[in-house]
Amino acid sequence: MKRLLGVTLGILTAIGGFVDIGDLVANSETGARFGMRLAWVVVLGVVGICVYAEMAGRVAAVSGRPVFDLVRERLGPRVGLANLLGSYLVTMLTLAAEVGGVALAVELVTGVHYLLWVPVAAFVIWVVLWRVRFETMERVFGLAGLALVVFVVALVGLGPSWGDFATQATTLGPPGEEDWGTYGFFAVALFAAAMTPYEVFFFSSGGVEERWTRKDLITERVNVFVGFPLGGLLSLAIMACAATVYLPEGVRVDTLGQVALPVALSLGKLGLAVVILGFFAATFGAALETGLSAGYTIAQYFGWQWGKRVRPRQAARFHTVVLVGFLVAVALLLTTVDPIAVTEYSLVFSALALPLTYLPILVVANDRDYLGDRVNGRAANVLGVFYLVVILLAALAAIPLMLLTGMGS
Amino acid sequence: MRTHPDPLRVDFHLLDRQIVDLHGALVGKVDDVELDLTPDGVPHVTALLVGQRALGHRLGGALGRWLTSVAERLHGPERRPPLRIAFSHVARIGSAVHLSVPAELLDTPPLENWLRTHLIGRIPGARHEGR
Repeated sequence: MKRLLGVTLGILTAIGGFVDIGDLVANSETGARFGMRLAWVVVLGVVGICVYAEMAGRVAAVSGRPVFDLVRERLGPRVGLANLLGSYLVTMLTLAAEVGGVALAVELVTGVHYLLWVPVAAFVIWVVLWRVRFETMERVFGLAGLALVVFVVALVGLGPSWGDFATQATTLGPPGEEDWGTYGFFAVALFAAAMTPYEVFFFSSGGVEERWTRKDLITERVNVFVGFPLGGLLSLAIMACAATVYLPEGVRVDTLGQVALPVALSLGKLGLAVVILGFFAATFGAALETGLSAGYTIAQYFGWQWGKRVRPRQAARFHTVVLVGFLVAVALLLTTVDPIAVTEYSLVFSALALPLTYLPILVVANDRDYLGDRVNGRAANVLGVFYLVVILLAALAAIPLMLLTGMGS
Repeated sequence: MRTHPDPLRVDFHLLDRQIVDLHGALVGKVDDVELDLTPDGVPHVTALLVGQRALGHRLGGALGRWLTSVAERLHGPERRPPLRIAFSHVARIGSAVHLSVPAELLDTPPLENWLRTHLIGRIPGARHEGR
């Protein structure tokens, strides 16, 4: 049981990358439009985030230094500040989207318009951040997010044509009614979501919050290799459910209700209840992850005291950044911007943040001053360099594809 | 056990590293260093400088000026010099710069102080132990 509870940091981190509000809809939309033709991107993303989260977690466990310490130290204050700006904007847009997502999940249950729930949701999430212990928080929302496993059950219940999935998954390129531009846009968006920088900020800072040491390297690896593949599996299950129900009819997916519908068709009311619980927990968890990450990055760039281990008044600047983050998120949502569309815009800033986050991790993971005998092996370095190239290509392609396809529409 | 890297490279081993106090509390970054020459002309580090103003001065240019002016605005009318930590207080340089003194002996940054008294300290539970 202790072992099981020990992996909740990895699960909660992965939720933010694979099944937060933007991804819930994006996975479903991808399934509805492309079937499983983009499933390979999710697999590519899972391996990539595993490689880098493992390095970042190892550095945090052995040296006690979280990712943004490495960014500032290796890239210097100027380039570090450019990364801070990009990462902060990605994180803030996502935080706003998640608060909206929690409100949307409550709307599904109550029927009361989500905008009325936005201030309530933001307040409740902030209170959890303010008062609940890091480990309690991570366990409750990591485990509750697992309710989304209902998509796997629902998929089996729908009795899809597995042969079609296999054919789609092994064909490269868009189906007849889509073009290469939209195919490329969705590929880049899925990959960037899987590797989104706040995952490594949160995971490595969480390791420091949990006081990982060299002895916890096994826990660290189990977290990585259970958490992220599980996130990827949920992502694929959502995609496959949508591919089964919507692809043949040519239906477009753009609401959270449509994401849940395949589960209701397969498992009835009980399934629907579980899926809404899953939405709530996943968006709530992702809001905790992004809310904290906004504080972590700024505090770590400037060297301020951060984290939930100390009394809040000992980390006043960190808690102010977190608090301001929630106020900005509420203000942004109350402009009635669509919370689901918000996450798509964060892709622009990912282009800046992704390469500048992963390069210093790879460099420090080879530094004996930090890691002693725990530096990267050959496999980690080969994969690390390979993914750095993929990240660069995705970053370069992101903005032209966005403009070219009008956000993939 | 060696406590300082030898040779000590200011840009590589010191600048932009995290400063940690005796008990593990986070003090700030090495935003700049103060150098001096020994009588026979060898440069050596005399102090670590901490704070956005020190960082702004080091960066220079428009970005540096902007950082400095934001810091000065936040610090209020009294223009205090940046936090200076004598190099003799440095116990060990590794992935962080470890001090031999507790943070309480150093000046608390004005922004932290202000937010502590006026904002965060006023929210119920601010004194609650994290864990």
